[in-house]
Amino acid sequence: MIRVAAVGDVHMDQDVVGRFRPALDRLPEQADVLLLAGDLTRHGTESEARCVAAEFGGLGVPVVAVLGNHDHHCDQVPQVVKVLTDAGIAVLEGDSTVVDTPGGALGIAGAKGFGGGFAGRCASEFGEPEMKAFVRTTSVTAEQLGAALRELDCDTRVALTHYAPVPDTLAGEPPEIYPFLGSYLLGQAIDSAPTALAVHGHAHAGTERGTTPGGVRVRNVAHPVIKQAYSVFHLG
Amino acid sequence: MIDEYTEAAVQRLLTEHGGLAEQGIKVVRRERVLVLCGEVESRQRRDEILRLVHESFPDVPLSVDIGVTRANAPTEAEELP
Repeated sequence: MIRVAAVGDVHMDQDVVGRFRPALDRLPEQADVLLLAGDLTRHGTESEARCVAAEFGGLGVPVVAVLGNHDHHCDQVPQVVKVLTDAGIAVLEGDSTVVDTPGGALGIAGAKGFGGGFAGRCASEFGEPEMKAFVRTTSVTAEQLGAALRELDCDTRVALTHYAPVPDTLAGEPPEIYPFLGSYLLGQAIDSAPTALAVHGHAHAGTERGTTPGGVRVRNVAHPVIKQAYSVFHLG
Repeated sequence: MIDEYTEAAVQRLLTEHGGLAEQGIKVVRRERVLVLCGEVESRQRRDEILRLVHESFPDVPLSVDIGVTRANAPTEAEELP
């Protein structure tokens, strides 16, 4: 059995430092790895990234993250990634990592993802350059996520995104904003490999559980959804 | 009377104001009051939402029902065989 802890949308800044730490100090008793599903900061500044590093660094288990839309806001992504990486937090974007656990090799493929919507009601790569660029961004990130998942050499695969791969876990959000919350292309990428679990954040008013069309279990781990420091999943 | 444009402006202020950056707050327009509800990561953020929305829209009566998300360790795991 592999024990996976996950949380997203912690939106760290000085005012939040220390809130998660009492729970995180117990995390190595409960999990083999911690996944952070994006929106780690409020505005994506280097100083906010240092708050993330202080809170989620040095936990005693590997920590693997993707960034979210908030982490891009101030255009300081390289600085944010460096602060997190220096603190021992692996940051994925269209690539993967393998963590050795007592239950076997856990492969994690991650990407922030992007929007576009879901089957039958999705945006198309057509029309204005801005519209084509929007949909193309999602296509590219989904292709990279799928390739990263398929190329993993491990016992158990997990997909980590910020945006949602299915509409199931958005239930509770206004349907009008679903195209800004995720894309079916991410689900299709996840279904292209034998994935055991997909976790995402972003949808604060969504719900915890869903499945892809291919039957992969999806969990929305946005902090306001799970209402605890992190959720733990036992795989296998 | 609170109109749709005010509702939209408050929604955008919550996200776009540098001191807030909150996308998870629901804005509900009622007959005589604008209701803000949702969850944030600290009491300071809730107080700042109230302060800045009131400052920008002093004539709009507000009802604020914003909680701080709990951050306790989980008491059980989900089994996914």
